[in-house]
Amino acid sequence: MLSALILIPLVGAIVIGFFPDKEGKMSRNLAIFTALSVLVINIYLGWQFDTSVSGFQFSEYIPWLQWIGLNYSIGIDGLSFPLVCLNSLLTLIAIIVTDKSIARPRFYYSILLLLSCGAVGAFLAKDLLLFFLFYELEIVPLYFLIAIWGGKRRGYAAMKFLLYTAVSGILVLASFLGLVWLTGADSFAYEPLRSHTLSLTSQLLVIAPLLVGVFIKIPIFPFHTWLPDAHVEASTPISVLLAGVLLKLGTYGLLRFAVGLFLDAWVILAPWMAILAGISALYGASCAIAQKDMKKVVAYSSIAHMAYILLGVSATTRLSITASVFQMVSHGLISALLFLLVGVVYKKTGTRDVESLRGLLNPERGLPVTGGLMILGVMASSGLPGMVGFISEFLVFRGSFPIFPIPTLLCLVGTGLTAVYFLLVINKVFFGRLTQSLARLPQVKWVEHAPAFTLLFLIIAFGIQPSWVVHWSEVQAVALLTGS
Amino acid sequence: MAELLLKSIWIAPFYGLLGAILSLPWSLGIIRRTGPRPAAYINILMTFIGFVHATIALNYIWSIPTEKLVFHWLEVADLNLTLAVELSPVSLGALELVTGISLLAQIYALGYMEKDWSLARFFSLMGFFEAALVGIALSDSLFLSYGLLELLTLSTYLLVGFWYAQPLVVTAARDAFLTKRVGDIVLLMGIVAMSSYGADLNFSDLESWANTFPLHPLTAALVGLSLIAGPTGKCAQFPLNLWLDEAMEGPNPAGILRNSIVVSAGAYVLIKLQPVFTLSPVSSDALIILGTVTVIGTSLMAIAQIDIKRALSHSTSAYLGLVFIAVGLGQVDIAFLLLFTHAIAKALLFMSAGAVILTTSNQNVTEMGGLWSRMPATAIAFVVGSAGLLALTPMGMFWTFQRWFNGSWDTDWWLLALLMFVNALSAINLTRLFRVIFLGKPQMKTRRAPEVNWQMAFPMVSLTVVTLLAPLAPMGWNLWLSPNAPLLVPNAQVTQWAMPLLIASGVLGCIIATAIPRRKTWARSSQVVVRFFQDLLAYDFYIDRLYQVTVVAGVSLLAKFTAWIDRYVVDGLVNLVSLATIFSGNTLKYNTTGKSQFYILTMVLGISILLWSLLNGQWSIVTNYWSSLIQ
Repeated sequence: MLSALILIPLVGAIVIGFFPDKEGKMSRNLAIFTALSVLVINIYLGWQFDTSVSGFQFSEYIPWLQWIGLNYSIGIDGLSFPLVCLNSLLTLIAIIVTDKSIARPRFYYSILLLLSCGAVGAFLAKDLLLFFLFYELEIVPLYFLIAIWGGKRRGYAAMKFLLYTAVSGILVLASFLGLVWLTGADSFAYEPLRSHTLSLTSQLLVIAPLLVGVFIKIPIFPFHTWLPDAHVEASTPISVLLAGVLLKLGTYGLLRFAVGLFLDAWVILAPWMAILAGISALYGASCAIAQKDMKKVVAYSSIAHMAYILLGVSATTRLSITASVFQMVSHGLISALLFLLVGVVYKKTGTRDVESLRGLLNPERGLPVTGGLMILGVMASSGLPGMVGFISEFLVFRGSFPIFPIPTLLCLVGTGLTAVYFLLVINKVFFGRLTQSLARLPQVKWVEHAPAFTLLFLIIAFGIQPSWVVHWSEVQAVALLTGS
Repeated sequence: MAELLLKSIWIAPFYGLLGAILSLPWSLGIIRRTGPRPAAYINILMTFIGFVHATIALNYIWSIPTEKLVFHWLEVADLNLTLAVELSPVSLGALELVTGISLLAQIYALGYMEKDWSLARFFSLMGFFEAALVGIALSDSLFLSYGLLELLTLSTYLLVGFWYAQPLVVTAARDAFLTKRVGDIVLLMGIVAMSSYGADLNFSDLESWANTFPLHPLTAALVGLSLIAGPTGKCAQFPLNLWLDEAMEGPNPAGILRNSIVVSAGAYVLIKLQPVFTLSPVSSDALIILGTVTVIGTSLMAIAQIDIKRALSHSTSAYLGLVFIAVGLGQVDIAFLLLFTHAIAKALLFMSAGAVILTTSNQNVTEMGGLWSRMPATAIAFVVGSAGLLALTPMGMFWTFQRWFNGSWDTDWWLLALLMFVNALSAINLTRLFRVIFLGKPQMKTRRAPEVNWQMAFPMVSLTVVTLLAPLAPMGWNLWLSPNAPLLVPNAQVTQWAMPLLIASGVLGCIIATAIPRRKTWARSSQVVVRFFQDLLAYDFYIDRLYQVTVVAGVSLLAKFTAWIDRYVVDGLVNLVSLATIFSGNTLKYNTTGKSQFYILTMVLGISILLWSLLNGQWSIVTNYWSSLIQ
């Protein structure tokens, strides 16, 4: 059953790739159908999922290359389940918001599904090497998605992304190899490796490359510079996926492997990591204030908000770990919404420059509904109660404060700055008098807003009823800290 | 029936919310055929239902003891977040006040906003605004109150930014949001800290928590200060006071709510947090200092304003400063009473000011005059509102101050001096405004000024009556809830002198304001010294410019600096590495010449370097070996 989540997009990608289709209509429908069926299966899995027990569920195991210790072994637990759901939802949304007249539709939809397949595989992998394979698998489609359908400097951005993430992959692999070599285990299976008895020094040696690897992916200052470039050059649906899902691979790796495998070493490093999180949050926020491109503002805010996850993971309390998973979901939803809306503005006005846009709230000739949604999205991001951003951040801070008060306060200041940079954008772009050059904007149809409304609905629903997300990962968070 | 209504009072916030949601089709422009009016009627109806519900519940609450309704919201790990609602005379009284003023303000808005094309959006926002306020009135949980305060911040932002196409509105909305946000974030820090130190965040349990958990003095002081920060922003206290003044760019009906009950909502939370402030003398001192600075500063600012709304809004800050002082002294009852009297009187003053503004299309008092005969109801409302705010006639504020000095509390001379100062300056301000607006000769803009239509007149007249009756409320009902019993020191000197001196200060203020030649009350003086002081006060002591060159400039400089570092140092380093790689690759490619001699030379050189590094330091062995062979 679980393999279907990996196989369906893969099959979909292959079918779309070989199906003759010039206009792209068929490919689009097929892609939507594939993503929809994955979502349905996901919901069904959620129905069957037992939240009261820890450990992997629906596990599947097929022996593969046993001589190097690699097996096809997958399972899902409270840490990965919310992220897998997020992935299937955002993949569907990304396909829907894709421009209908996109160039090379077959190739596009095909590798978009492949990207989704890679991400879900990495979330499900119970084998270290399998995780690495999927982690690498997701890089290639994303490279093409940026390099072919991107903006003006897409070549530079795509190459930068590729190099950064490839280095990240190599470092993660080095750490995995080191672990297996030092422990002398006969396979890369995750669960047996958790009970290793490495000395602290070797643990520190092995965790170091892993940390740098995931920090590149999250991204944490100073390894972040690929992200703004990639976001600015990527098209809207790709930005949605990148911010919503692919960054989560980094934080997921952090939780699953750094905390799950090297808890002793992690606890020693944690104070430094918490400080790094504080710096990263403030750095991202203050960079965002100075940006003139709306997409860059959202990209830098991503850096700031992902840092809270590092803070929560550093604190390693039950609450903070649960909250970190929650914050991943919350950031996925909110940043996806913001990228969607910036995409609408860009599509209708042809620019994302804060200085040249003005008065878009105008009810007759502007983009009033987009503006209203944008205000709500921005409020969600800056942590307004009643929306998911507030409660997830509150739980992270509440979970981390008893352990690391100062870094938590730094991150709180970062939350305050969120309002500053986003409000500057809102004020410049949506308030004021509509400029004459923008006076004839094409109308946005209600259907075009359907994905944004869906996301907003979830943001508010989870904000009012956070236990709908939290209860998935609560038990597993405890299991992660107490060992297998 | 009444009991059922009392038990279900927790749904009160949903009336406003439901009104806001139901009017969405009109505000989003989905329904256009009917015009925006139905949205307004829906909201007024919902508020009216809420008002009736609150009234019945309030009448019933006196016969039963205080109750708490607790909703378990989120339980995760060791954290248990509950949302508690308090059913007590105080909370229901606050609820009654909120729904009452909101109802009147919405009817008023029907007239004031009549010609505005986005009337429906305005009423949606008002419904949302009201929902948050009602929630704060009932809430017994700091966590819930914080959330609602934030929602108030959002709705203030949207209401101030209602006419978003005007440049001044844009900055006003932004400043209102960011200023309050500064306070709120610090408050959130305090809440996170308190929750971590074991408080369960319910107001009613704070006192026992404060007594049982010994905190380090420094921690206690910091927690106290952070909790003060939120209300400081909400109540427009120094140094976060300027947003209220700027927010006067928004529509007036929202201004009525903002100046009377929204600022009170912040103070209400502050009052409920009072047990925490007893933990550390630093926080209660901070409250008194903040309050005093605000009282003196804003009272002075108010008398130099020529914008009618701004003159009144500065006075709002001043009276809220008194509430801060009362809380700092631990005199919770007085704080409640101050809020109550001020809210009603200020709402009335703003209604009157709004009537003047709508009729004359003008906010500048220097262009007004002679309105009393043309707008009698408005003039009466202004007089009654002023009387309610001053300790001069036996109306609201008189009785409040009287309670303060009747010996139940330990009061000091400095407090009396401060109150006299406020009273005198307030008297000057209000008398000045009355003279300039309503007396004298009509000017261009006030010549043709009919009285307002009934939608505005009805709430204004009703509130005039309410203001006149307001002194009866604290006499008739027992609102006392102080944690520590009043002191009763009736023979103190200050007690005997207080009321006569306060009345004298009010009279003095009126006399001064009347004595200044009418033209002089607004004109920019030609004498340099006078002009300097006039400008100093009129421009709010230049605090906004001070912020521009310090905080704002600092943040933007830091942001630019960080962005520069990001672009040229962090990213530059990355690009340098890649450039170096490309450059060396490009350079080395010229070595592929195809000449075998060159390749062999390279190989020999390479091997020699290798050998050299391998054998480095061991040459003696090599030479010994060779020399042994030779021999």
